[in-house]
Order: sequence, then structure tokens, then C-alpha cells
Amino acid sequence: MRLAKFVKDNFLLCFGVVLILLLLFVTFVGPYLPLIDQELEEVQYLWTEDDIPIPPPFEPSNENYLIGSDHAGRDLLSLLVMGAKETLLVVILITLVRYIIAIPLAFFAHKKWLGTHLMLNWLNGFLSYIPTILMVLLIVMLPPFLFTEFRPVYLVLIIALVEVGRAADAVKLELDEISSKEYILSGVVAGAGSFRLFKYYFLPFIYGKLIVYMITDLGKVMFLIGQLAFIGVFVSQYLIQVDAGQFAIRNSSISWPMLLMNATRDIRMAIWIPFWSAFAMAFTIFSLNILAQGIQNLFKKRNTYI
Amino acid sequence: MTWQITKNFLLFLLILVGFILILLLPRERAITTSGPLQFDAHYPFSLELYLESIEEFVTYIKTEKGFGETRGGNPILDEVKRFMTRSLKIIVPAFIISMIVGSLLGLLQFYLRHRKCGKVLSFFSWVFASIPDFFLFIAIQYLLMRAGLPKFGLFGNEEWYSFIIPLISLTIFPLAHMIKVTVVAMENEMGQDYVRTVFSKGLNKVEAIKHMFWNCWSTMVNQSQMVMLYILSSLPIIEKISSYNGAGYQLLQSILNNEDIRALGLMLPFLILMFLVVVISQAIKNWYIPKEVRGGL
Repeated sequence: MRLAKFVKDNFLLCFGVVLILLLLFVTFVGPYLPLIDQELEEVQYLWTEDDIPIPPPFEPSNENYLIGSDHAGRDLLSLLVMGAKETLLVVILITLVRYIIAIPLAFFAHKKWLGTHLMLNWLNGFLSYIPTILMVLLIVMLPPFLFTEFRPVYLVLIIALVEVGRAADAVKLELDEISSKEYILSGVVAGAGSFRLFKYYFLPFIYGKLIVYMITDLGKVMFLIGQLAFIGVFVSQYLIQVDAGQFAIRNSSISWPMLLMNATRDIRMAIWIPFWSAFAMAFTIFSLNILAQGIQNLFKKRNTYI
Repeated sequence: MTWQITKNFLLFLLILVGFILILLLPRERAITTSGPLQFDAHYPFSLELYLESIEEFVTYIKTEKGFGETRGGNPILDEVKRFMTRSLKIIVPAFIISMIVGSLLGLLQFYLRHRKCGKVLSFFSWVFASIPDFFLFIAIQYLLMRAGLPKFGLFGNEEWYSFIIPLISLTIFPLAHMIKVTVVAMENEMGQDYVRTVFSKGLNKVEAIKHMFWNCWSTMVNQSQMVMLYILSSLPIIEKISSYNGAGYQLLQSILNNEDIRALGLMLPFLILMFLVVVISQAIKNWYIPKEVRGGL
């Protein structure tokens, strides 16, 4: 009974947890399911009953291709399931890096240490005018990042750093609000230094908010990576020589954004490729947002007159 | 008021300069031969090169007295005007719909929040706030193709109705965002004493919501910049996949092709649009919002 009541009261939270568990199941157990082809076999041709060869991409609803295949004839469902681990890893990495930098930054800005708060204001003012995606595009196309074997590392850093100001600002607002509460004074009176104050007086009250922010940011990062994929910017890519004096950026990964590489053309030819890869992203973003909202509702206990 | 606008204008200029400085960072490629049919790509990146490109940019603007011409020979300004009118057909309706319909739906959702239909509404606004616009666009295309419906062109910009599908996919996300903001702002007000006063005077729920709305709507106006930014961020991608070929897509192309001047010419209207939204929302706040509320924010 109590469980049923908990589920009823926190429907969003439970729904979010179920969705996330589903996602994790697909990511970690999925590759070993019988339906999934771990080898990602490339099929050159399928033969029709009249012995006419059909080249890939194969349409969905074919026996072996539940949701179709990609241009190399690999089963799309297997590709998505196998690529989930890499995709999620990149997204989590970016978010972690962002918050590892944002939290100290927020604390310094809150303390107005060495003009950090001014810098933060400037950064946010700038980014409230210029779309993040353009900023990322302008920076990743710079030579030092384009022409290095550590390009994935740089890309993770750049995507994390571009929005670090926004994340830090949100955390700073929380800190500002907490520091105006009276119990903080009791800590000061008791003689706590700034580190002790931060650890025992601030952190316990912003853990919840931090988790909500981070989960929401996971969704935002996934969204940004998806958008970047349409322009042809991927986290895992490197530069190779393709012809005399010709260079091209090549990709060597099976993560979801990679399937959106030719989306503009695929929408007209083989719409199931961009559709299902965008669906995988949309599903992830959706479950993360539901979970974040569910956690947020846990803390929300307000009095009301209406 | 005048000071605020001047301040915003100065900020706008600084942002413009900052954007130009980032745009001008050297990106040219130098190719050297290192053997038979073997080449190395170099991207020289040094301070001198950077200063040189800034100098080049300044002299270019001075000699051309404007943006000059594209590689194809058309005046850049004409081109910007053509692409921008096309894009404005999407941007302006998307912005107005998200702001007005978003707030109204937010109020409705708040009003109905204890009823079943209110819960359904809030669930849907959650779903739509979590769906990336590119997925929405592709899903609409897929559905229409599956249904075999379209006897009309789904892509391109030639027909009068071409802007509708991109508009829908672009509007949904900011719309859902506005609904969320409105509901949160209203929920923040519902514990205030004046709400109790409204009921103690015998007025009904609608009257109470009216009272609360006037205290909330500065928060809502504050979101206008955010909404515009959402729309402008997604515009290039949606234009690209729908072959709409407006200013957003052209901006992407000019950045990818290192056409600095053209990129600046296409970015400028977007920046001005953002600036206008900031100034207008500031003005609205100054004229229509009670001083007491403004002081509190």
C-alpha cells in the first residue's frame, strides 16, 4: 500500500527511473540479446524472390532488419544498441567536466574572489546573444583543434567549457540564496572557515539541486551533440588525406550522432536512419528530463492558498 | 530608462566586437608537399597571422564602405536581405506564438492542475519540452510520408506554405519552455498572503489567478531573450534539414567555408534581433509593471 502511495505521489520520479533503467538495460545488456548482431555484419546485397539484388540501405519491416539498415547494410537496431555505450559515455564525460569546473567557479563568484563574478557575468552576457552551437562551431574549426590527434579530448573540453558559465551561474544563484539564510550566521559564529562552511553548511542543501541541474544538462549536451552532428561536427573524428592535396575529416565510431551525418540526404532517401537515431537521442533526453523533474518535485513542498 | 537602453546598446557593441574577434581567428589552410603524391595540411595559427587578418578586415570594410560583394559577385547586403526576409517568416511567428500562446497555455495548465485534463496537459508540455526539434521535424516528415498524404512539397522554400513544417518544429520547444516558466512563476506566487486576501473577499479562483498573473508576468517577459535564443540556435539546423535555405543555413555555410565577411553580414541581423528583443522587453517592463514588483526582482 505504501509503495502504491509513493508511486502515486511521485509518479514522474518513478516513471523517470523506469525509463532510465530501460536505457541502461539496453546499453549494457542489450548487446548480448539474441536480436542484436554484435559483429555488425555488412551486407552488400539482398536478393528478392525474382533474384533481383537490392543494395543497402534496406527498408524496415524486412525480416532481418526490424528498423532498417544503414548505408553499409548493417542492422540499424544493432548499430544503435552497440553505439549506446559510447554515446552515453561522451555525454556523461562532457557534463562531468562542465560541473567539475562550474562548482568551484560558482563558489569563487559567490565570494566575489578576484573578479570571478564579473567574468561570469560577461561570459553569460555574451552567450545570451550568440547561440551556443555557433560558438562551438567557430571554436572547433580552429586549426589547433582541427589538426591534432587529441581532437576528441579537445572537443569534449570545448563543449563542456562553452556552457560552463551558464552552469556556474545557476549554482551561484543557489549559493547566494542559501547564504542569505540565518543558519549560515550560526556557522560563522561557531568559527567555521570558508571551506568548512562550504562543506557542511552549503553543500548539504545544494546536493539535490546539483543533481537536478546535472541531469538536465545531460539532456542538453545530448541535444547539442545531435545538432552538431547535422553540421558534421563529431566528437570522434580525425583528419586524413583522401586524394592528392585533398583532406577530409573521417569518422571512426558507431555512436548515434554519426548516423545523422548524411541526414539532409537521408531524409529523402532512407528516412529511417535519421529517424531512429534521432529517436534514440530524443528518448534519452526525454527520460533524463522526466527524471530531473521527478527529483525536483521531491524537494518541492510549498504552502498554497489557491 | 534612457540609461538602460544606452547600457544595452554598449553591451551589444561589445558583443559584436567580441564575435568579430572570434570570427577572425586564422583558419586558412596551407598545404605542403612532403613526397610524391603526399601532402601535409598545415593550419598556421599565430598571433601575427591573427593581427594581420584583423588589419585586413578593417581595411576591407574601409575600402568597400560596407560588406562588399560575395565570391559570386552579388552585393552581400542584397543577399542578406533576401535570406533574412525568408528566415523572418519563421522567426517572427515562432517567437510571437511561443510567448503569447505559451503563457496562456501555462495559465490554463495552472488553473486545471488538480483536474485530470490539467494533468494530461502538463504531461504533454513535459513531453514536448523534452523532444529535440530535429527529431520532431524528421518525425513529421516520416509520418507524412508513411501516410502517403503529401501531394505537396515537403522541402524547399518555393511554395508559400514551405515555412509551415519548419515553423512547427521550431516553435514547439520554446512554447513548452514558456508553459513551464509560467507554471513555475505562478506556483511561486500561490503561497502569498494576497492570494488569501482575494479569497477572503469572496472572489473566485479566476480573479485570484488574475491577481497572480500581474505579479508573474515580469518573470515571463524576462524569458523573451531566452526564447529568442532558442529559436535562433535551432534555426540553422532546421533550415538545413528542410532545405529552406534561409539566413540561418547560409550563416552555417559561410562559417564552414571561412567566408568571414559574409558570416558577419548574416550574423548581424540575428544580433540586432536579439538586441531589439532585449530593449523591447526592458521597455515593456518599465511601462507596464508595478514598481514594487520590479524592485523585488
